Amino acid sequence: MEKNMLEIRHLSASFFTQKGEVKAVNDVCIEVPKGKIVGIVGESGCGKSMTVRACMGLLKYPGRVVGGEAWLDGKEILSLPEKEKCAIRGDEIAMVFQDPMTSLNPVVRVGKQVTEALRLHRNMPAAEARREAVAMFEAVGIPEAKKRLSSYPHQLSGGLRQRVMIAMAMICHPKVLIADEPTTALDVTVEAQILRLMKKLCSDGTSVLIISHNLGVIAQLCDYVYVMYAGRIVEQADTFTLFEEPLHPYTRGLLSSVSSLRRGGDKLDTIPGVVPNLLHLPAGCSFSLRCERCEEKCRECLPDLMDVGDGHKVRCHFAGRGEKA
Amino acid sequence: MKQNIIKRLLQAVFVLLGVALLIFIMLRIVPGNPIATMMGEHADPATIERMTAEFGLDQPAIVQFARYLSGAVRGDFGTSYSLGRPVAALMRQAFGNTLKLAFLAALFAWILGITCGIIAAVKKNGLLDRLFMGLSLLGVSMPVFMVAMLLQYVFAFHLHWLPISGVDGLKSFILPAIALGWNSAGSVSRLVRSTLIEILQEDYIDTARAKGNRQMGVLLRHALRNAMLPVVTMMAIQISSLLSGAVITETIFSINGIGQLAVQAINGRDIPLLQGTALFSTAIVIIGNLLADCLYSVLDPRIRKEA
Ligand SMILES: Nc1ncnc2c1ncn2[C@@H]1O[C@H](COP(=O)(O)OP(=O)(O)O)[C@@H](O)[C@H]1O
Ligand SMILES: [Mg+2]
Repeated sequence: MEKNMLEIRHLSASFFTQKGEVKAVNDVCIEVPKGKIVGIVGESGCGKSMTVRACMGLLKYPGRVVGGEAWLDGKEILSLPEKEKCAIRGDEIAMVFQDPMTSLNPVVRVGKQVTEALRLHRNMPAAEARREAVAMFEAVGIPEAKKRLSSYPHQLSGGLRQRVMIAMAMICHPKVLIADEPTTALDVTVEAQILRLMKKLCSDGTSVLIISHNLGVIAQLCDYVYVMYAGRIVEQADTFTLFEEPLHPYTRGLLSSVSSLRRGGDKLDTIPGVVPNLLHLPAGCSFSLRCERCEEKCRECLPDLMDVGDGHKVRCHFAGRGEKA
Repeated sequence: MKQNIIKRLLQAVFVLLGVALLIFIMLRIVPGNPIATMMGEHADPATIERMTAEFGLDQPAIVQFARYLSGAVRGDFGTSYSLGRPVAALMRQAFGNTLKLAFLAALFAWILGITCGIIAAVKKNGLLDRLFMGLSLLGVSMPVFMVAMLLQYVFAFHLHWLPISGVDGLKSFILPAIALGWNSAGSVSRLVRSTLIEILQEDYIDTARAKGNRQMGVLLRHALRNAMLPVVTMMAIQISSLLSGAVITETIFSINGIGQLAVQAINGRDIPLLQGTALFSTAIVIIGNLLADCLYSVLDPRIRKEA
């Protein structure tokens, strides 16, 4: 087993609003082994972004980490003072955001934005930083790399901008790259290019944690997948196992809604019911409100994340008995 | 970029011409002979006629306008009826004072307003934010003359720190500049605060932080430049309100400036003086807007034309 470059341990994070505590991330554990691509999948609002933002120390007010740890290459980073967090961000751990149209500073040339991390962390002279940036632009497949350095974001297409974002994140060769829905805002052909790029980066030794609500993206890219629901991990397994042998009713629901699309059937399989309110989570299983197999104990008692073998873990009362829920 | 500036310059010339014509027409529409007004009730008709001819007021309007324009281009705005001296000379003297006053007021207003706005935005809902926003509310709601008299009372009359009025060195401009800039400082600080708070929520601020920027770096390299865009627009507008405020301030503090000249001109129906001062103010506003446009396109690449 490879060593973990990023290890999130029992992370909990909440928004403290006037109505009360919104428990957006609840006891989440995620491991990203060296050189692997790990995915987090789940519906919008289930706390994916919040999980990775907490690791980066980029939670938006009034969000706060309420417990847990994040270990980056053997070092706990959540408890570091802000100054040291700044020293790590962009250097050892970097992030690509969802919307490349709004994630670049509109009034600063992209070359300057890309080389900024080098100047911050490496104290690199401008000329050298530019050379690095050109090399990185070429690596992420930006044509006319040198010329592009002096472009402004509005002069680039969405796909190019996301490549710029990736180049920017990769410029210091971070140990871990976090990508929060890096292709959601892009059209399908561009998406495929970006995914290929991410795969290539990973083969160069970077460990990647990628978020998506798109199972297709996860299937293409990831070695290992975490399924998140209402702030909790409900299932985790290597990609093959997860798609072949999903155990949690929610995972099965997700998969069947995708396959019903692929079958081209006229009826779309959806998971009935609504996501629970994160302000008032049910006492038992979060998915109990929507689950067909829901029983008394599901409503009353939260199931553990049980290991059913080979690192396949499921948070369901019915999964451990070897039966398929 | 260069083409753009040339275009704007040409536009400015046309605006100036238009304003000159407008002022000219408005002054002639007002009924009554200005010479008669100037000489008083008991002047004899022959003298009035002679003076009217001397000032060229008996000529057709077109001729008067052409003379006025060709003079203005050469820097000759005619002779003031009420003061009997060339308008250009009068304005040259007053120009320095008004410029000093307006410049100091703008400096005071913008430096103070921007600094307080930034601090208030960064410390949102904190003690300083509340203090500054309270003060700025006072700033935007107190009329110039009130601030002026308050300052005079406290700092000149009571504390004797600064002269109460008149022009005697740079220190006599301090109170007038604060009085004049007070309003603008208030509105600038409020705008800076609200814009900056909004900008700090933008996605690219997250990107900047994810790169490892500390708070100062985020502010200086990423947030401020974006936040300044609407502020520059407001500053351009404030130039004209500073000029109109200068009229009041100069009067209260007895500063011999363009504003005081304008008041004199209006009271005395002094057409050449009025034309000169009005044209001067227009020119300042136009230049201010031109500078703001240039600054804006330096700050925001999106409005620059593709090379
Ligand atoms: N400012 C906020 N105040 C309260 N709740 C919030 C706020 N921002 C986000 N949330 C909640 O946090 C949850 C997690 O959001 P997020 O991590 O962005 O979800 P995802 O990335 O999975 O779509 C959402 O359900 C949302 O309702
Ligand atoms: Mg998200």
